Amino acid sequence: MTKELSRNERIKEASAYLRGTLAEGLREEITGGIIEDDAQLVKFHGMYLQDDRDLRAERVRKKMEKAFSFMIRLRVPGGVCTPGQFINLDHIVRTYGNGTMRLTTRQTFQLHGIIKSNLKATMREIDAALLTTLAACGDVNRNVLCNPNPYQSRAHAASLALARALSDHLLPRTPAYREIWLDGERIAGGEEEVVEPIYGKTYLPRKFKIVIAVPPSNDVDVYAHDLGFIAILDNQHEIDGYNVTVGGGMAMTHGEPETYPRMADVMGYCRADQAIAVAEAVVTVQRDWGDRVNRKHARLKYTIEDRGLDAFRAEVEQRSGVKLAAAKPFTFTSTGDRYGWTESDNGCAHLTLFIENGRVKDVPGGVQWLTGLRRIAEVHDGDFRLTANQNLIIANVPKDKRKSIEALVAEHGLTTGASALRRNAMACVALPTCGLALAESERYLPDLVTALEERLAAHGLAEAEIVIRMTGCPNGCSRPYVAEIGLVGKGPGLYNLYLGAAFDGSRLSKLYAADLDHGAIIANLDPIFAAYKSERRDGEHFGDYVIRADFIAATVNGADFHKDTGARR
Amino acid sequence: MNSSPIPNTAPFAEEEIEILNRVVGPASPTQRAWLAGFLAGMNTATTAPQPAVGAQPAEPLTILYATESGNSERLVSDMAKAARKMGLKPSIVDMADLDVATLASVRRLVVIAATWGEGDPPARAIRAYGELMGEGAPRLDGALFGVLALGDTAYTEFCAIGKALDARLEALGGKRVVDRVDCDLDFAEPAGRWIKTALKALAPVEEAGRGRVIAVDFGAKAASTADLGPVEAEITEFIDLNSSQSEKETIHLELGFDGAAPPYKPGDSLELYPENDAAYVDDLLKAAGLASDAALRAELTKGRDVTTLSLKTLESYAATTGHQHQEVKALLESGDARAWIAGRQLIDLLQFFPITLSADQLLQVTRPLALRAYSIASSRREVGEEAHLLISAVRYQSFGRARKGVASGHVADQLKKGQRLRVKLRPNRHFALPAPERDIIMVGPGTGIAPFRAFVQERRATGASGRSWLFFGDRHFTHDFLYQLEWQDALKDGSLTRMDVAFSRDTPEKLYVQHRIWNQRRDLVDWLDSGAYFYVCGDAKAMAKDVRTALVRAYADVKALSVEAAEQAVNNLDREHRYLQDTY
Ligand code: SRM
Ligand SMILES: Cc1cc2nc3c(=O)[nH]c(=O)nc-3n(C[C@H](O)[C@H](O)[C@H](O)COP(=O)(O)OP(=O)(O)OC[C@H]3O[C@@H](n4cnc5c(N)ncnc54)[C@H](O)[C@@H]3O)c2cc1C
Ligand SMILES: Cc1cc2nc3c(=O)[nH]c(=O)nc-3n(C[C@H](O)[C@H](O)[C@H](O)COP(=O)(O)O)c2cc1C
Ligand code: SF4
Repeated sequence: MTKELSRNERIKEASAYLRGTLAEGLREEITGGIIEDDAQLVKFHGMYLQDDRDLRAERVRKKMEKAFSFMIRLRVPGGVCTPGQFINLDHIVRTYGNGTMRLTTRQTFQLHGIIKSNLKATMREIDAALLTTLAACGDVNRNVLCNPNPYQSRAHAASLALARALSDHLLPRTPAYREIWLDGERIAGGEEEVVEPIYGKTYLPRKFKIVIAVPPSNDVDVYAHDLGFIAILDNQHEIDGYNVTVGGGMAMTHGEPETYPRMADVMGYCRADQAIAVAEAVVTVQRDWGDRVNRKHARLKYTIEDRGLDAFRAEVEQRSGVKLAAAKPFTFTSTGDRYGWTESDNGCAHLTLFIENGRVKDVPGGVQWLTGLRRIAEVHDGDFRLTANQNLIIANVPKDKRKSIEALVAEHGLTTGASALRRNAMACVALPTCGLALAESERYLPDLVTALEERLAAHGLAEAEIVIRMTGCPNGCSRPYVAEIGLVGKGPGLYNLYLGAAFDGSRLSKLYAADLDHGAIIANLDPIFAAYKSERRDGEHFGDYVIRADFIAATVNGADFHKDTGARR
Repeated sequence: MNSSPIPNTAPFAEEEIEILNRVVGPASPTQRAWLAGFLAGMNTATTAPQPAVGAQPAEPLTILYATESGNSERLVSDMAKAARKMGLKPSIVDMADLDVATLASVRRLVVIAATWGEGDPPARAIRAYGELMGEGAPRLDGALFGVLALGDTAYTEFCAIGKALDARLEALGGKRVVDRVDCDLDFAEPAGRWIKTALKALAPVEEAGRGRVIAVDFGAKAASTADLGPVEAEITEFIDLNSSQSEKETIHLELGFDGAAPPYKPGDSLELYPENDAAYVDDLLKAAGLASDAALRAELTKGRDVTTLSLKTLESYAATTGHQHQEVKALLESGDARAWIAGRQLIDLLQFFPITLSADQLLQVTRPLALRAYSIASSRREVGEEAHLLISAVRYQSFGRARKGVASGHVADQLKKGQRLRVKLRPNRHFALPAPERDIIMVGPGTGIAPFRAFVQERRATGASGRSWLFFGDRHFTHDFLYQLEWQDALKDGSLTRMDVAFSRDTPEKLYVQHRIWNQRRDLVDWLDSGAYFYVCGDAKAMAKDVRTALVRAYADVKALSVEAAEQAVNNLDREHRYLQDTY
């Protein structure tokens, strides 16, 4: 018997290529929301209907509906934009948004708090800035990540070019986006003609994520995504091809062991000029093989688990006509960013700023991120690059401009680094905007880090580079299962603690202890810090140590993520 | 004398006896004499009743009034009663209905007029007032007249309209037989005195010997039987409707009564007995150098208006404090006084020109504390014996002092669920719902929404067939959308047909209800052409005017009319009593 397709499949099918009743819904003035089905569709256009969860409790009594607003996510391949575009976004968040920008773990911008009546005006400004939000979310290929490292300028140029090419090649073709947000008019041309050559009427079974990594940096966490390209450089530092990875993903659901994070497998090697053909084949195989019945089992990682890597590779080779070669050797050293100034082979300088949790805002009496970055954008004529660690690089600064930018950095109290634990920390957004959050994350991690740094210092570990990441729910938006210390929201004020991931992002962690509150988190980690200080071998990373010292069992791959969990020592 | 002289034993039905008593009870000796003769005559005469021997027709008296919130109107009906007793045949004319030309034939005229806005006529009187002031006005040569002005000394244009009419009637040749009196908010007593003097001056001279016979005007209807006395109410619900992230504070109050609620109709208001802020009163006593004795504090807190600072206050302060305050006199004479009092309160005066006052002196410079009116936001048909109010907390900063409205501040800061307060019904028959099948358009930004909540509840309860269209506006959609869930329900159940909203601070360029009216002009004019009633409630200073202008522009655009013609179209709505306004 064939099981019933998931609700989203029927919504997509009936949507006439992502139109649904969005246009009508926008005209509904009396509610700040849109109907449920449209709320699913609007994601493909780069938006999420959210509500301010801090206000939920009071609203009904005050005879008001939820405090609805939209989060708009841009699609910026490789995280590279111009200073001019940044200035446009600054204007948008000050005029229509909540006065902040959010740099994401996938190298793009999120604008929160835009109410329905301002959506169109905002979308027009985004379009005028030559930016787009189409396919930033939804069951399609999302923003394509690419290691932003400017110090290997040639490799970066090539990988960025590929990121953009992949992004364009896999972009939905439906006219609905221009129609609804920009032109208003429905563009003629019926359902019959092929609107979506790659996706078809129902697009993909689930979201799809592509990244490009340039060793030795694994800042994009290549193994955490559906499809990855690991650049293989020749001795002139040019890219001559890529190792192709498939089947990575983070998300799981508490109490459902059949859901688990998974590290991508290296499927083989392809020449640079074959990358797009391979990517398209991977996408279409997932389109046809992916699970459209159970959305919790619909990501590519489960398709690979179910069908096996060999079958999948064979199908991809067959559809792409590309015979994949054996993977080439490479080494990753870390997943972090290089803060401060770096110089590159093209003689330019680049400044990597540390923006805690990617939240760009002016703190009253404190750091002025929004204003500071706009002032820099006004004088800078290189580019702005977002990193996959929620940070920002002022890239391609000619020598003579360095001083003026340094002055602006100082004037606005911008930070070009932080203490060891903090600069290796990431938190997802969570409350108050994220509808799925079970616990705080962005608003809490900074305080927890302060407390943990105090313990680390007490053990003389102030300088230890340890990757720590927090999320407000098990979806894993800050990729906590590849962090040496992962904290995943379980309920208000409670977190599950995961340990044992590799510093270079090549190994998943495992559940160490559950339902910990602030005190319990510290109490659990403190003795491990102490032992680490006394027992670690030189250069031994925290994530490797906890396994060797048998605090926790190693996770070989997703399938055994939920096996032998818990503290062992 | 005995108010019900006709005994129940009289050979009439109960209600007939009641009616007879209503007439005979208050009748003057002359009236009774006439009746006696008249009835006697009736038995003999076979033809239509002739006035009894020696009868002469009563002198007609035209009583013209311009009202917004009904005070002048109430005075007018009192005056009419008294006039009849004095041998006059009063006819009451609302300026809203005045055909100015008819004044030419009037011999005796009194005008009771209120001033609104910033020295403007009450909305409904604007048209007639304009005509009366313009070239078209008829001569009134020889007509006897008198004017009573209602106003509020807190406004710089104190009684401006009464003053202007008084001068105008004289200019048109009228003969002033009684001097104008300008009443402050505590008008009852001075107005009563003025009515007496005016009627004396206007009554026909007694012809010695003959007992005069006067026609009884059976047409004059009995005064409203609604009990307008103060009643106790308990706060059964207290909700600040604005979100905790709003700059505003708008309180939804639900009042319960011991027994029946005052017999209010949608469109009526409740007047609230306010209390001054305790801390403010302390500061005032300190500034006046007065030891705070309980009695005085109580009097000041509950009985006196201790915040308003008007020119009148300055004058009486200068007077009471005599020589000690040359500066105040100087300020008054300099002509800068108006500017100086703006944004200031009595406390500022005492602190700026300090002297020790006696309790009496302090009382002398204040006036009685006036009630505050609040539109009733509910229909008894839906909420039973309750009344709901919607009160916006007035708060502002001026001259380095955080200030708040007396009544709204008291409600917002002092009152809680379960507490009691005194209220008084203030009917407004000029802001009532039309026949159920008529369409209504309601424009109520901010607290102006209050009466329309009552309208929609009433129409839901009565299943009225007419369509209803609501325009609402405030600052932020997310934080200031008053009663949002209720409007969503009303739209679903059909008791509200349409709703357009304008939130002024969500966009770079401010958006107000008048802009939405302009956007919707086609449908709007269409509704009005098919007989819809147009209601405006809320801010009088800017909104009401802007809305009217927008409507004129709408007519001009949709019907391709000149501005003048479009204004006429809107004026016609006034004449047909389809443009109704309750603004403050
Ligand atoms: C902003 C961001 C976190 C951040 O702090 O930067 C984020 C924020 C959200 N993610 Fe995510 N995700 C973000 C990267 C990720 C990642 C990390 C990555 O891709 O490298 C993951 C894990 C990797 C993966 O996909 O497996 C991730 C896995 C999810 C999931 C679980 C997907 C799944 O397979 O089940 C959801 C929920 C869903 O899709 O049903 C989700 C859903 C969400 C939503 C949109 C909540 C929702 O669906 O209503 C969050 C919006 C919160 C807010 O108020 O802004 N987000 N999300 C990241 C934006 C990325 C981007 O620019 O596109
Ligand atoms: C028929 C009618 C119906 C009404 N219905 C409602 C209703 O439904 N809801 C409602 O909230 N109100 C309503 N009002 C208004 C209400 O009666 C009061 O006038 C209002 O609440 C203010 O009274 P208060 O005692 O709080 O303020 P007051 O003590 O009377 O102070 C108000 C005065 O403070 C001064 N002031 C206010 N703001 C500033 C400023 N920013 N700068 C300088 N000076 C300032 C002005 O002189 C103003 O006149 C209605 C009024 C009328 C006549
Ligand atoms: C919004 C508003 C504006 C007013 N403007 C003035 C004014 O400019 N000058 C004045 O003397 N009285 C002014 N008043 C006071 C009224 O004239 C006073 O309340 C009068 O008693 C109302 O009489 P009515 O009920 O017949 O309209 C104003 C009252 C309100 C509520
Ligand atoms: S991890 Fe969960 S809580 Fe955090 S942003 Fe993603 S969905 Fe929201």
